[in-house]
Amino acid sequence: MKAEQHTEAGVTAPALAAEAVTVRYGEVTALSAVSTRFEPGRIHAVLGQNGAGKTTFARVAAGLVPPAEGAVTVFGRRLAGGDVAEARGAGVELVHQSFALPPSFTVAEVLQFVGPKAGLFTKRGIERHWQRWLDGLGLGLDARARIRDLPIEMQQSAEIARAMVSDARLLILDEPTAVLSPKGTERLFARVRELKAQGVTIMLVLHKIREVLAIADTVTVLRGGELVAGPVEAQDLTSETLAELIIGEAAARLDASDRAALVGAGAQHQPDQGRPDAPPAVVLKGISTASNTRGNGLSEVDLTVRCGEIVGIAGVEGNGQRELVAAIAGLEPLTAGEISLADQRMETASLAARREAGLRIIPFERNVEGLSLSSPLWENWGAAQLVGGSLLASVRPRNLQRSAEAAFQAWDVVFSNTAQPAGSLSGGNAQKVILSREMDPGAKLILAAQPTRGLDIGATMAVWKALRQARGEGAGILLVSSDLDELFDICDRVAVMVSGRVVAEFAPPWDLKAVGRAMTAAGQQPALEAVP
Amino acid sequence: MSGRLVPVLQTGAFIVLALVLCSLIFLSVGLSATGTLSAIIDGAFFRPNALNHILRWGLPLLITAVGVIISFRAGYFNIGAQGQFYLGAICAAFAAEWLRGSPALVAVPICLLAGMAGGALWALWPALLRVKAGADEVITTMMGNFIAAQFLVHVTSGPLKDPAGSGQQASSRPIDAAWRISESTGSSPIIIAIAALVVVFGWWLVNRTSFGILSGLAGRNPVMVTWQGAKVQRIAISAFLLSGALAGLAGSVELMGPNGRLASGFLPDHGFTAILIALVAGMSVIAATLVALFFGALTSSGLWLPIMTGLPSAAIDIIHASIALFITAKAGALRGLLSWFRR
Repeated sequence: MKAEQHTEAGVTAPALAAEAVTVRYGEVTALSAVSTRFEPGRIHAVLGQNGAGKTTFARVAAGLVPPAEGAVTVFGRRLAGGDVAEARGAGVELVHQSFALPPSFTVAEVLQFVGPKAGLFTKRGIERHWQRWLDGLGLGLDARARIRDLPIEMQQSAEIARAMVSDARLLILDEPTAVLSPKGTERLFARVRELKAQGVTIMLVLHKIREVLAIADTVTVLRGGELVAGPVEAQDLTSETLAELIIGEAAARLDASDRAALVGAGAQHQPDQGRPDAPPAVVLKGISTASNTRGNGLSEVDLTVRCGEIVGIAGVEGNGQRELVAAIAGLEPLTAGEISLADQRMETASLAARREAGLRIIPFERNVEGLSLSSPLWENWGAAQLVGGSLLASVRPRNLQRSAEAAFQAWDVVFSNTAQPAGSLSGGNAQKVILSREMDPGAKLILAAQPTRGLDIGATMAVWKALRQARGEGAGILLVSSDLDELFDICDRVAVMVSGRVVAEFAPPWDLKAVGRAMTAAGQQPALEAVP
Repeated sequence: MSGRLVPVLQTGAFIVLALVLCSLIFLSVGLSATGTLSAIIDGAFFRPNALNHILRWGLPLLITAVGVIISFRAGYFNIGAQGQFYLGAICAAFAAEWLRGSPALVAVPICLLAGMAGGALWALWPALLRVKAGADEVITTMMGNFIAAQFLVHVTSGPLKDPAGSGQQASSRPIDAAWRISESTGSSPIIIAIAALVVVFGWWLVNRTSFGILSGLAGRNPVMVTWQGAKVQRIAISAFLLSGALAGLAGSVELMGPNGRLASGFLPDHGFTAILIALVAGMSVIAATLVALFFGALTSSGLWLPIMTGLPSAAIDIIHASIALFITAKAGALRGLLSWFRR
């Protein structure tokens, strides 16, 4: 059915043609004069680092963002932009990075809701109708399942199904693998190939070379909002040439393993085996927390991080990583277990006392847990100095401002003065402000939660350097990341979390397949395994 | 410094706009705009003894406003200044009743402290409800205002009722003349000293202590302060108690000073004007000093208006209301910008 529509629209028209497309957000140019043509019926990967303009390109191609200059045509129809209905009419659909389906709906209800039909239905009737349609798509979805009960991978499939209801002929997936385990990624790619076989053109926004080479027919590389190359036939590319295209000149200055980790080409760094005889920075013995609204709490987690060691926490997001960080911070009460920080029992201690003992935190949410965006930089930095003391302790703002300024300079933060609000900094600079606050010489255990998420190469390298330096100075580091390449590049050990448990621990040499299996194997919901 | 000048000029412009709006309202009811405005200004600044009147009305407002600033900066919208002000006056009146006959040097400080304790108590329960149960303090403190106003009626017509009273307005027995800290019609060095102490304390607390910095951060982002290990609940309760205590202090100052007795329904706008002062002052203690004196001048002029122009003194409320309108519109616009920025 899809293939017919496709021929109807004319074989000669490219699925997507961008002519000198420029997009500006305020004063920032997110895309500048990008021109490219995607042939129909193929899988096109758009690749680049954070901030390269990939998502903007996806949004402009899907007609969500009107280009400031240039033109976007989909199957020969020019899009004015800023109108979803118009883009839908032209046959293009975008699946966003974060999902937005109503959690209390069943899959059938979602599809009925976005579908074109009006009238009276029975529940059974729409379930039967959409199940038939879903089976045709080969997404392995159950029409009766509620969105909130679906594992994240299947929620993504539901999003894809939602996009396909309007008979999309160009399907754009923005970073679809970011939320998936390696196994889940494989299954997603199988589904994408299935869609391609049905005649759908697919544009995948990705940032890992490994994934691109596994699925794409053509590759387009963006860097700093500009088109660097593409579309190039994927078979003509090697992982080395792609890495250089993505990173640019800086590639030559990077260590080979870091470079591979940055572009997702399979890092194989072999760190010195940690220090098995070093004293522990933190010991968790059987800690559990009550289950909460996000899903499961922790359940009997045992974990030790020694001084001078980086231990990674791998896992699909939402498997207890946030609870683990909150529990070590003392912000999530334990129902059982013991926590020792630098040889002191701490499970009932306040966060202030734990910080006193050397705990430092780079939290998950930089702009919420890490910084008060509307407050001045010096207050954001100075808070760490004040929390331990009395509320009536006298403060000299001038001294705090000077110390903050010195710290910012030492960490290469780009800022104009310490009174400017934290929200006026870029993501990378904001993260450096947090590093400058949290990574002082008194740090004994550093919880680094997704510390490089959303950062560009320069800032990512700064974070890695800081973590390695802290390790060198004898701090223990617990690094939570959903990026296995990052973990493999800088960790001495990696523990895998599934459903609030630590299910496996790995040491170098890294085995991506084994870690991936651990991430999906134990305790997963059956819906996941049922996928063919 | 130009960075600080902008909001000052902006606020000045809003006040001018508010006065223009008022002139239009006066015009629409057939009064001369310039005549009315000049009468207000005359009444505020140029009548005999104007400065004394400005201080008499402005200083108690300033004391309450400093308290409002402390809680607003910490992110708690304690709208209950009026109720806390009443409770302060009531507790001070009870203390005065019990201490009847003792020397002024003993009685006056105790009455003032009793006022602070009463105000703090009236802020404590909304604080606990907020911190322990998450109850919205805007609702609880506002309800607290109604309860306090009814309690004042009860007290003045019950336990503290003046048996010699005329019956027109329920009130307590007059305070011992030796304990009065000012005349009925003006301010006094003692009240000026109390207000000065409050301003210095407020400025120091907000700008030069751990509490000031952390409560300012918590007011904008309590999650971040929690992740830094600060005890946000302790900050919250302290902020509520301090703001209540200062409103209560203003209540006892009014009682021991210009009022001289507790009357039911006295100064019903005090707390709300103090909130307006805090907003106009942009949560700055120093700015609040000037703004409070400006509002003191407006209030004193309101009493002068009926004599000068035949307008009711409530005409001043129109000015208050228009200033509130413009200032809150400004705050709203800022919040809109901020949320846009966060997105």
